Amino acid sequence: MKTKINILILILLFSIFIYVFYYALSSNTKNNPQVMVNKKLPNIELTSLFDQEKKISLPAKSKDLFYIINIWASWCVPCRDEHSFLMRLKDEQKIQIYGINYKDSSSNAILFLKNLGNPFYFVGLDVDGKNSIELGAYGVPETYIVNSSGIIIFKHVGPINENIYQKIIEIIK
Amino acid sequence: MKNWICIITFISLIYFQSTSASTNRELEIYKNIRCLVCQGQSIHDSNSDFAKDLKQIIKNKIDANESNEIIYQYLADRYGDWILFNPPIKKTTLLLWLIPFSVLIIIAFALYKKTIFKRE
Amino acid sequence: MISSSLGGVSLIIASALTVWTLFLFCQSWLSKTNLYFKNYIFFFRASFVFILLSFVLLVLSFINSDFSILSVYENSHTDKPFFYKISGTWGNHEGSMLLFILVISLYGFLFSLFSNHIEFKLRSTTIFFQSLIQLIFLFFLIFTSNPFEKIIPIPNQGLGLNPILQDPLLAIHPPFLYLGYVGFSLVFSFLLAGLIVNQYDENWAVTAKRWVFLPWTFLTLGIGLGSFWAYYELGWGGYWFWDPVENASLMPWIAATALIHSILVMQQSKKLFNWTAILTILTFVLSLFGTFLVRSGILNSVHAFANDPRRGLFILLIISLITFIALIIYILKSSHQKNNDSSGFIIFSREFSILINNYLLIFALTVVIIGTTYPILLSVFTGDSVSVGPKYYNTILAPFIFIFLILMAMGPYLKWSKNSLSSVKYKLLSFLLVSIFLSGVASVILQKENTIFWLGLMCSFYLIVSLVYEPFYLQFKNLNYARLVSHAGFGVLMLSITLNYFFSKELSSKIVLGQSVLLEDTKITFIESSSKKGKNFDELFGHYEIEKNNVKTVLKPSIRKYNQPQQFTSETSIQSQGLNDIYIAMDYSSDPSTGIGIRFYYNYCIRLIWLGFVLITVGGLLSFLQRRNENKN
Repeated sequence: MKTKINILILILLFSIFIYVFYYALSSNTKNNPQVMVNKKLPNIELTSLFDQEKKISLPAKSKDLFYIINIWASWCVPCRDEHSFLMRLKDEQKIQIYGINYKDSSSNAILFLKNLGNPFYFVGLDVDGKNSIELGAYGVPETYIVNSSGIIIFKHVGPINENIYQKIIEIIK
Repeated sequence: MKNWICIITFISLIYFQSTSASTNRELEIYKNIRCLVCQGQSIHDSNSDFAKDLKQIIKNKIDANESNEIIYQYLADRYGDWILFNPPIKKTTLLLWLIPFSVLIIIAFALYKKTIFKRE
Repeated sequence: MISSSLGGVSLIIASALTVWTLFLFCQSWLSKTNLYFKNYIFFFRASFVFILLSFVLLVLSFINSDFSILSVYENSHTDKPFFYKISGTWGNHEGSMLLFILVISLYGFLFSLFSNHIEFKLRSTTIFFQSLIQLIFLFFLIFTSNPFEKIIPIPNQGLGLNPILQDPLLAIHPPFLYLGYVGFSLVFSFLLAGLIVNQYDENWAVTAKRWVFLPWTFLTLGIGLGSFWAYYELGWGGYWFWDPVENASLMPWIAATALIHSILVMQQSKKLFNWTAILTILTFVLSLFGTFLVRSGILNSVHAFANDPRRGLFILLIISLITFIALIIYILKSSHQKNNDSSGFIIFSREFSILINNYLLIFALTVVIIGTTYPILLSVFTGDSVSVGPKYYNTILAPFIFIFLILMAMGPYLKWSKNSLSSVKYKLLSFLLVSIFLSGVASVILQKENTIFWLGLMCSFYLIVSLVYEPFYLQFKNLNYARLVSHAGFGVLMLSITLNYFFSKELSSKIVLGQSVLLEDTKITFIESSSKKGKNFDELFGHYEIEKNNVKTVLKPSIRKYNQPQQFTSETSIQSQGLNDIYIAMDYSSDPSTGIGIRFYYNYCIRLIWLGFVLITVGGLLSFLQRRNENKN
């Protein structure tokens, strides 16, 4: 009898195990980009892409409720895809976007913006990738929404698509 | 005065020459950090750009005399505990240690119950 | 072109034959006659033939670069060297699942050939269960992962195989692994059969032992090969990283080792019936679970396979189905067993020492399971993510390995069913003295004062000394060579792991042409570079002169640039010096002007580690060659 109870416990444990793995399969959040959310944006200093003398530091002292930070590069193909969404954010939502040009040649970056349009309020350089790591990014493109207190309230890894765009609009209302 | 400058330059050249090799402490840390754009490798094993950048940042921090804990915390703040191969001891990782320990106790108990203490 | 259709048809025929086998069996069972027995053995063997045929056809498709077949298109290329075209057959999910099924069928086929002495109901029911497992996987293959799926229009060229998979060891390591852990399906079927026909007893154990030893031996070899491959290919100088995919093969191995010993006790002392049954089920379930882990995309690993959550889901369902059936049969039938599980174990008897070690194995198994699945479970329950690295496993397991080694040494000197410690007390004590002496000497010569080091050495020596003495103790009569050799292998393995851990050295540095770096008493100089063009890659070699104790060697690691798909790999250069290896790998840098990065390792006693693996495997093989003489030992 005792063995039977042990076995039934085993079956129960096993069922839980199975269910948990089934759930894990469907959700699959391996790499958690939410670590930075609700944390204060780390301090970084950026030199402008267009003017070597001009520097700003983030978090920005912005009067707006929100601003966006977007990490991009001219050699990054998905950045090209999401560029139109950034233009829409600038034109339709009138939100300030700070661009961080990641490990790029300045001339290529400037050409990129000339051809596709410049959605950025300011473009800073991140020649060696250190600034991006400071912000908890590990590739391009990545996008952050920061509020006026300097808290990151949203982070997206990868290119912005229509879904993400709608999400962003919702947040910055 | 010139002699001193020469000597100091000479010594610092040697010093910079030898620091192109990673120290033991650097290696120890690199092996403990996961390369996030790779599959299961540490930044020590990985050739990816991200791994190289991280190694450089960590090296700078070591040179600035930051302790291992501070460096690990810096990375965990930005990338989550996932980036550390040694799980930190927190509430969430308590079970990692508790479960084997409990199994050990159960085993000891089961063994005790099964044993017949018979003399020869 | 024809082969692809034939292959698909062959699979369908095999499935039909399997269904027919099952049908005939059920008919026979219901009518309570064995009229149909010869027939269904025939049909079962026929199903094996057709599975083999479809596998051969798939291999041929790869060799002929038949790109009308989707898996050939996705995983091969006309430039692939011949050997790798063949191994490409199982270098992908669909092909490897076909190999998986082939092994299931092969074991069933072998069983049908070598089981004439077994009572026919037990024999036929075993084949029933084996065919059932075969059928389940055949359906999974045909409907979700068909290797013969066509692609239209037919492409001219394939997408190529991952260059990292173009390696001789990696190519042959999956078949060995499968012959290992998939092979446990047979003893699993044998168990369910034994339970159902009420013949689960010590005679069952005698037969079962062979069908555990065979896959166990292959699995040991497969794990060893994988470890060896990781060592010379991955370039980080290590041989085991407690990577989730490595653990997936280790878990059934640990369970199977415990199973072997449990069967032994069942045979000799007529105890541990429940243990053996549970362990048999556990071993096979862990094999399936490992398959699930590596294919479902749920893990993050260097070895990760085709990541498809949908397939993972199916495999999960299959595992659940098989496990539930097994557990239910076990529950229903275990009470009918005439087993003596309620009786205890006399202290310091041989079965007592085996029992303790089995508990320790279960403990080790729990640690590996927890460590591997914890990140997944945690992220499901809390959304947090952690990693579990080697330090966790090493820290927890080390003390228990020491105890384990000591018990392994003592056990064979104890007698069955008797408290026999005092009669061998002095011998065991003298082993202890010898091993303390040996490890003390080693510590002094190697100049290492470290408790863990000394303990590791001492316990390994203790085991080895006890094994060396045993033939003399038994006056060279009735020696169990299988046990002696495999246990010796384990002792050598632990000894060499300890030595390797404490005395290996490494150096990581940027180096420019003409520059030297120093690692203690070894000097490494970058003397030259050269290049070569291979069949589907360009290769850049670095020539490094290694000088130690006035002996100079030149190692030539390289970086390869593959074309299809474009990928870089770093090839190591290793040279053995006695038991140790000197080992160099280059890092590919996007900016060569800052110097090329190299990683240099001095791997101490690494060859002993391989010897350990080999010995354990040989021990397993010996169990088939030696005659049945374990009665008194």
